[in-house]
Formats: sequence, structure tokens, C-alpha cells
Amino acid sequence: MNAENNPSSSPASSASTPEVAVPQAVPAGFFGAYLASKGIAVENLGSDATGMEQIRLTAENALPAAEALKHHPDSPMDLLLSVAGVDLLTHRESVYHVQSILSSQFLIIKIAANEKDEAPSLFAVWPAVDWHEREAFDLYGIVYQGHPDLRRILMPTYWEGFPLRKDYKQEDPRLVWNNR
Amino acid sequence: MMMMSTPSSTLTPPDVKPMQGVSVEKGFDTNDLVVNIGPQHPSTHGVLRLITTLNGEVVKDMEPVIGYLHRSKEKMAESRSLFQYQPTIDRVEYLSSFYDHLAFVNCVEKIAGLGVPKRVEYIRMITLELNRITSHLLWFGTFLLDLGASTPFFWAFRDREEVFTLFEKLTGARMMYNYYRFGGVNADLPSGWLNEVRKFIDDFPRRLDEYEAVATKNPIVLDRTIGQGILTKETCLQFGVTGPALRAAGYAADLRKTNPYSCYNEVEFEVPVATEADTYARYVVRVQEMRESLKIIRQCIDNIPGGDGGELGLLKAKVDEATKAKKKDPTIEVPAWNSDWDMFGKKINLLTYKPPAGEASVFVESPRGVLGCYMVTDGTPKAARVKWRGASFSNLSCLPALMKGHMYSDLMAIFGSLDVIMPEVDR
Repeated sequence: MNAENNPSSSPASSASTPEVAVPQAVPAGFFGAYLASKGIAVENLGSDATGMEQIRLTAENALPAAEALKHHPDSPMDLLLSVAGVDLLTHRESVYHVQSILSSQFLIIKIAANEKDEAPSLFAVWPAVDWHEREAFDLYGIVYQGHPDLRRILMPTYWEGFPLRKDYKQEDPRLVWNNR
Repeated sequence: MMMMSTPSSTLTPPDVKPMQGVSVEKGFDTNDLVVNIGPQHPSTHGVLRLITTLNGEVVKDMEPVIGYLHRSKEKMAESRSLFQYQPTIDRVEYLSSFYDHLAFVNCVEKIAGLGVPKRVEYIRMITLELNRITSHLLWFGTFLLDLGASTPFFWAFRDREEVFTLFEKLTGARMMYNYYRFGGVNADLPSGWLNEVRKFIDDFPRRLDEYEAVATKNPIVLDRTIGQGILTKETCLQFGVTGPALRAAGYAADLRKTNPYSCYNEVEFEVPVATEADTYARYVVRVQEMRESLKIIRQCIDNIPGGDGGELGLLKAKVDEATKAKKKDPTIEVPAWNSDWDMFGKKINLLTYKPPAGEASVFVESPRGVLGCYMVTDGTPKAARVKWRGASFSNLSCLPALMKGHMYSDLMAIFGSLDVIMPEVDR
């Protein structure tokens, strides 16, 4: 029997035109240079150990830069993967991982919170940050300005303190891990 | 379902605190009924509470409440050494825990610049794809159970058990494997293990055909799934939905193809894609993925460097003996042997292992979508930060938008098709 005429056992066709391209190697600082050409100066942090480009945005240029990245002509960064809070002892930082569905490029965006733990929310650009920013608020106490529904998500609503901060202690003598 | 027969009016009782999930601003329509589904509900695949506002039998609004399974996996990483933390990773997502281990171990390998031998990568790929089959089989059984069919559930569990037996021979555990190590795996393949895997993948397609003959064209399944729960590309991107749900919406987004890790660039497979974006399309994509996984496993078994673990062990013993004897008698020939590193990797003392300070983010294609691990190390044996990006977390967040306007009775069919697992949501 001709293999090409052999009907598949299910209607999903794996031969439909894939809309995803294998990523081409891009020069270092690809997205930083693109933002600079748009008139947005960003701090370039180089690549991390996995080779993903990292940039740092400030509270002022975060939203215009994110908007520009989402509408990048060659690799629109349209898929937000995760938001991670990080406690750096001096201040707290949110780390956004975004990916382009079209070109499969990854980008890491870091935004430092100010001394009052306030940071701009990127909800207006990527609505997918909704639950992720709530989680960072829940565990690190980073207050995202402009988030429509910022409240605890993993911890109970009555919980006091932000558990993933480095200085978080629970005043219960039975808990031994405070001293670890 | 009981419903109040009072006329439609909007009022907010001043002395009663409104229930969670009821908007005071919008007013409380007495025709609406607020139903708590869960947290202890057989079809929520864990402990999930859905505060659902129903208008008749139509879902008007829904608010998922999560966190019942929050076990502070990310905090635990900061109080243990990396090696001590490893056994707890299995519990992040216990249906496909090889994937969590791969992301974690890859993070450490990237930060420390540790090389991984090709044989180890092939062993990892075989276990990963077998794990994808067990995970999809559990989904297959429970999804059809949600639709009311109980026989496929038992069939799927029978086959899962066979793979678990293989895993037990390899790792010593059925579900909590803790098998990968930094730059290698815990132990080499047992003697004859690859033949047993081959026996399974030779036999499994026939049984999968049988399941599909019963379920895939079943008129009840078709009626309950076709055209239900349409999750378009735009909605997927709006909520960060990845995995089979995104592929069922027409994007061939699979990190194994687009950003290959391990040795996925050396095997041939196809990425199943559908364009209908409904519950049935997600079903079909997952069943097709199991067949593609079998293809990958077959190629890995054929091409694994070193071959069967028992024969490799015998060869290694012969090489060691001949090398020792050659020192006394130079005429003795040593059998061909690349190096210990090529086959088994570098030996490191895990108890005192310290990666240098650095950052890495690794994203792998788990059965449920993109699974990520973001790790920051500071030069101590402990990690400064470990963040898990579970695919289920984002996939669950789209449920309210997906369910609006659907019948209550379709909730479990649509929710089941997303393949959400709660430990991965709450971590």
C-alpha cells in the first residue's frame, strides 16, 4: 500500500503548515539594540548561562519598551512564560521570561522594585502576567502599579508577611528551619 | 438543580458580607446561583476550588481559588543543598517528574559548564518520552472518565503500570524517580532493560489502536467534545497557555523542535498540530503525541552509544582486566573503548558540590506545556533562588474565560481537556 495514501487514524494533520520557525542565531544584544533604535535606552546585562539575552528596564521605560518588544517586526515577543520575584537583599527584582512564538527567541527582562517595593505592572502589554504578578506579590510583597486585581494567590488571605523574602521569619519555636 | 424562583432584581443586603466571588459593584442578581465546586471534587484532579456563578445551567462567571497544595517548594530550595533538594523536585509535578529533574539538572549543568555524555542524553530521552506516555495515558483515562466512560481508565492504568515496572527496574521507584544527576544519571541501564522497552513499544501501538477504536470515533465522545471549549490562538497568548492546547490551536510550538535540548535534534519526529482548537482537537493532539513519543524511543534505542547496560558492563570489566594485564605483558590487546567519560560521565562528589555563582533559565517541553526552571546560585551549595514555571499554572488561568457561556455539565469535559495538575499549579 502506498504510504502517502494511507489515511491517518485521526483527523489531526501533522502536515499543516507550521507557523513556528527554528530560531536563527541572533547577535548578542539583539533586543537591546532594537530598543535603542526605538529611542528607548535599556541596560544590557549580557547573556545568562543558557545564552538568553537579559535586559534591565526602569519603572519609566518599562511599558513603552515592553510594547515595542511585543510588536518587534521579526520576532514579536508575544508569549509571556513566567514572572519570578528575586530578593537581592538590597532590593527586590521581578524577572520576566518572554518568548516569541514566531521566532522562538527567549528574552529575560528584569525590573527592579523601588525602596517601597513598587514596580510597574506589565499587565497592559501582556495580560498573561495576571496570576504570575499576583504570585510575586504574594511571596515577595512587590506591589505592581497598574495591576487590576493584586491580591494573594497561593497563601491564605489572612497570611502576614511575605514568605520568600530572605528576612522572613515565623515566630514559632517549633519551627527549626528558621535557624538554617 | 434547585433555583430560586424570585423575580430578577438587584440588591445588596447591607448587613451581610458578600460572598467571595460576588461583585458588589455589579449587584447581586437573584437569578444567579453561586456554586462552590471543590476543593474536594473527584474531577478537579487535585484540590481546586471553583467559585462558579451560574445563570440557570450556564456558567456566567468563575473564579479559581488555588493554593491548597502549596508546599513551598521554592522556599525549600533555599534551605537545602542542591543535592538534598533533588528528591523533593519529584513532588512538584508527580505525573511527569523526569521533566522537572531535567530542567533542574540542566540549570546546574549550564551554570557550572558541566558536559553531559551522549549516552546519558539518550538514556534521559528514553525516560522522558516514556514518561510522556504515562502522563498522557493518565490524562486519557481520566478525561474519558470525566465524560462518563470508565473502561478506558482501567486500560490506561494497565499500560501505565507496565511502564512503571520498567521505571522501577531502572530507578528503583515507580513515580518518584530522583534519577538524574548533575552531568549524568544515577546508575547505568540494567542488563536487558532496553529489550524490555522495545517489547513495550512494539506492543503498545496495537493497544493504542484498540483504545482509539473505542474512544476516538465514539459518537458520545464526539458529541461532548467537538466544538466545545474553543481556545483560540489569541486566548492562548493572552493567558500564556502552552503545550498541546497551543498546538491544537494551530501553532506548531514545541520546544523539542524549535529550541532543541538534550539530543532532540538527532531524532526525527513530527509535531502533531490541529486547527480546530476545541476539546476534541486537544484530545487528538495528545493521542498523536503518544505515537510520536514511541517513534523517538525507537530511534533512541537503536542509536544509543554503548548499547545495552549489561553488555557495556561486561566490556568495561574486560577492558579494565586487559589494561591491568597489559602492564605485565605488553602483547595483550585491550578491547576498543572510548573512555569512561564517554559512557558514564564525570564523577563528582554530590554531597559537597558547589556550582559557581550564576543564573540560568531552562525551558523544556513537558506533557502539559512549557516547564521552566529559573535558578540563581551564589557560590554556596544552596541555590539563592529556584523558580518553577509550571505549565498548568498558566493553563489553568484561562479556565474562566474558556468556560464563560458554557453549560455547567461541560465544565469537567473542558477542564479535563486542559490536563491541569494541581501540585504543579501550587508547587
